[in-house]
Amino acid sequence: MLALAPDAPSQQAAAPLASGRAWLLTGASDGAAVWGECRGSAATPYKTVIDLSGPAYRCSCPSRKFPCKHVLALLLLWTEGGVQDEVPPGWAAGWLAARAEKAQPREPGEPKDLKEPKDPKTALKRAEQREARVATGLAELDRWLRDQVRQGLAASQKSGYRHWDDIAARMVDAQAPGVAERLRALAAVPHSGAGWDGRLLEEYALLRLLALAYRRGEDLPGPLRDTVRSRIGFTIRQADLQTTGQPVRDHWHVLARRDIDQERIRTRRVWLRGRETGRPALVLSFAATGLPLDDRLIVGTEVDADLVFYPAAVALRAVVLARHDTADGRLPPGGTIAALLAGYAAALGADPWLDHWLAVLAATPARSPVPCLFDATGQALPLHPGAGDCWPLFALSGGRPVTVAGEWTPRGLWPLTAWDEGGGVVPL
Amino acid sequence: MSQWRDLVTASLIGTERVPVPVAAIPGLPPLSDAPPGNSISDITISDNLVDAAGELLDRAALLAAARRAGRLAEEAEPLAVAEADPGPVVSPAAGRRLARIIGGENPDLLAEWLTDAIARGLRAPARLLPALLDRARRVSSSDPQLRRLAVQAGGSRARWLAGLNPDWKFAAAPVLTGEDAWRLGDNEDRRSYLAALCAADPGAARELIAADWDAAGRERIMFLSVLADGPGGLSLADELLLEAALDDRADEVRGWAAYLLSIVPGSALGDRMAERARGYVRLDRSVRGPRLFVYPPGRYDDDMWRDGVTPGRGAGGAPLADGARVVLSVVSRAPLRVWTDEFRMPAAKIVAVRSGDWAPVLFSGWARAAMAQRDQDWMAALITEALTGRPPEAPTEMAVLRQLAREADPVLGAPGTLPDPEPGAPAALYDTVGVLRFRHDMLKELEHDHGPG
Repeated sequence: MLALAPDAPSQQAAAPLASGRAWLLTGASDGAAVWGECRGSAATPYKTVIDLSGPAYRCSCPSRKFPCKHVLALLLLWTEGGVQDEVPPGWAAGWLAARAEKAQPREPGEPKDLKEPKDPKTALKRAEQREARVATGLAELDRWLRDQVRQGLAASQKSGYRHWDDIAARMVDAQAPGVAERLRALAAVPHSGAGWDGRLLEEYALLRLLALAYRRGEDLPGPLRDTVRSRIGFTIRQADLQTTGQPVRDHWHVLARRDIDQERIRTRRVWLRGRETGRPALVLSFAATGLPLDDRLIVGTEVDADLVFYPAAVALRAVVLARHDTADGRLPPGGTIAALLAGYAAALGADPWLDHWLAVLAATPARSPVPCLFDATGQALPLHPGAGDCWPLFALSGGRPVTVAGEWTPRGLWPLTAWDEGGGVVPL
Repeated sequence: MSQWRDLVTASLIGTERVPVPVAAIPGLPPLSDAPPGNSISDITISDNLVDAAGELLDRAALLAAARRAGRLAEEAEPLAVAEADPGPVVSPAAGRRLARIIGGENPDLLAEWLTDAIARGLRAPARLLPALLDRARRVSSSDPQLRRLAVQAGGSRARWLAGLNPDWKFAAAPVLTGEDAWRLGDNEDRRSYLAALCAADPGAARELIAADWDAAGRERIMFLSVLADGPGGLSLADELLLEAALDDRADEVRGWAAYLLSIVPGSALGDRMAERARGYVRLDRSVRGPRLFVYPPGRYDDDMWRDGVTPGRGAGGAPLADGARVVLSVVSRAPLRVWTDEFRMPAAKIVAVRSGDWAPVLFSGWARAAMAQRDQDWMAALITEALTGRPPEAPTEMAVLRQLAREADPVLGAPGTLPDPEPGAPAALYDTVGVLRFRHDMLKELEHDHGPG
């Protein structure tokens, strides 16, 4: 149990509290949760609650250690049989219920209370509270980022993932889950091979840019402000989107799909392109690890549908509002590398944080000097190192041009779909 | 570019130790001269957060966006273009089936899929070749055939791919050809040479084997397996060679020779086995229905040893420790005609006759004989009996039944031919029906091609 303690002093501090005398009230339910109120230095007792399934915990004390001594003491007390089964008090029950609900697959950052609060005043107050939390959190993030650069990034290569997890956890508390997710992903950067330092600096710089942009608030143009807020993790409820957004009807060709497994959640990115509008669209779906993802958009098909785009400086993310028809898609027109780079550059001008962009190329894979794709003009772009050997892409090509769809990122192109000579779609 | 490098270097060391390098952004005025309200750095000024680290991050943000947006294409060295393949690709359904097999569903049917595709002059879809070559590389030691089949079904595209990945070098065009392969090549080269010769001129292959036999040592087993896999199968022309091999000192060679002789129709070994089989198994036609009685031999002699009938390790000449083992090896090597002739009943009737405790031994023996002699009538009779008559119980029976499902005519897997196993039936029965249906659909899908491309 003490293995959970962040350090030795926490273990020592917890021991005297575990006697039970310091606790005004304790209770447990079915071995699923433990809670208690502990007398501390403040006027009101600290409220501690632990979800044993995680374990996850919350304590109202001001300690910055996680878990704090109250959590450890309560766990010790419970393992020694010093906690009776009780009905949880309101404050504990509320937190536990919120956690139970969070276990359901939901988009990270989606508001917990899906029902509109009945009282507009309450809703307003809640929204203001969140803005205040995010503002405080991002100020803290800015300080942290500057600390990294002040002390030097060289130390990052020796830091464990905890280094980023801790600041990410604080961003979760500050209700900025989008920022938290970006931070968590950074733990892998110092071990991503040559150039890791530059990639880490880019990410830190763009995170600070995000924090500063948020602070400008209403000064930013509306669409950019939407982008900033969505990247921080403010979400728009799909119901709101469907009532306010302008649907775009087109024959949407489902071009590529990529699933990303995170710690507790799987994200599916499906890339579409409108036949008439030529417009790219990105449909996201989420599922808890181990559960199936939304399978309704099948790569290679063309869906006649109304899409609603989330407001953003580069309106890319969309939801399918209504589907009218589905047919087999034909071979999509493949573009040049120059056109891809120009399109991405234009989009970056509006949204500097954009790091995934739909690529549809008529190109030939090659292996030298690095695994890459080159087009008819001889221009080449590297394949993303994370995409692996991409042997099926090479096998399909046989040294000849193929049509490839994928994600263009600053690290390279992640090939996701190719079309064989007969026009058959091949997920890579 | 060097400006970015300077920023990265400074950030690595830390701004508490080095000054922030000045980085000019293309298209923007230098940071210090920037008029207010025109760049991101204003935010820092207005927010009183000016410090060296913040300044470095602001410059890095501008440069990062500029570098991403201004990225230039690079150059590539094109690969040689793969030779065009004349043959058509298998149908999309057959391709999906191949992906399932490679993915682990009935993986042992891969050789059959490939053999059938090759026989029809069809190619495996290009997208599956990397997985196919990986699979062939992994199983090579247990099944050298699979590499050859994979390369053949992969066509010129597979050879082209093999040139890109050293793991697949076995699929690159063979370096040694003709008699050089036989004289200088390794075991694999020699096997391919002999197999090709066997297909073109079986007589020449037999002469080559006979000439090399004495010096061959462990390669004798390879010789025998190539002979067995020859397109025409074995014939009486092979008997002389095989009978000689029965006197080989190596148990493995003798075992192979005995097994192969039992396949040759009309061989002397077959006659000897038939004689033994008739002595061990008798049919009794009583009023209560026919019944089989089994009498294992009381002594074990040198002739049995020579014919590959082994009751177990080190038991030569001793009283039989395991009669069942001897009965099993005799029944599995005796020509199946001995039973239909002797009992004057068709296979389907014979396999249903009660035999008490001996039933699993007889079932396993007949099944092995039916597979070795490629007798579809017997295979169908045994599978049907397992499904509708006495269900298999011994582990040997389960194993042999699973094998039968892989050797029997897949027409048994056609819809409505075999009944579904009873609920709660042994897994081997479900597997048998499942595999037969899988093979039936698999071969149907291979009847059509996808056209070139």
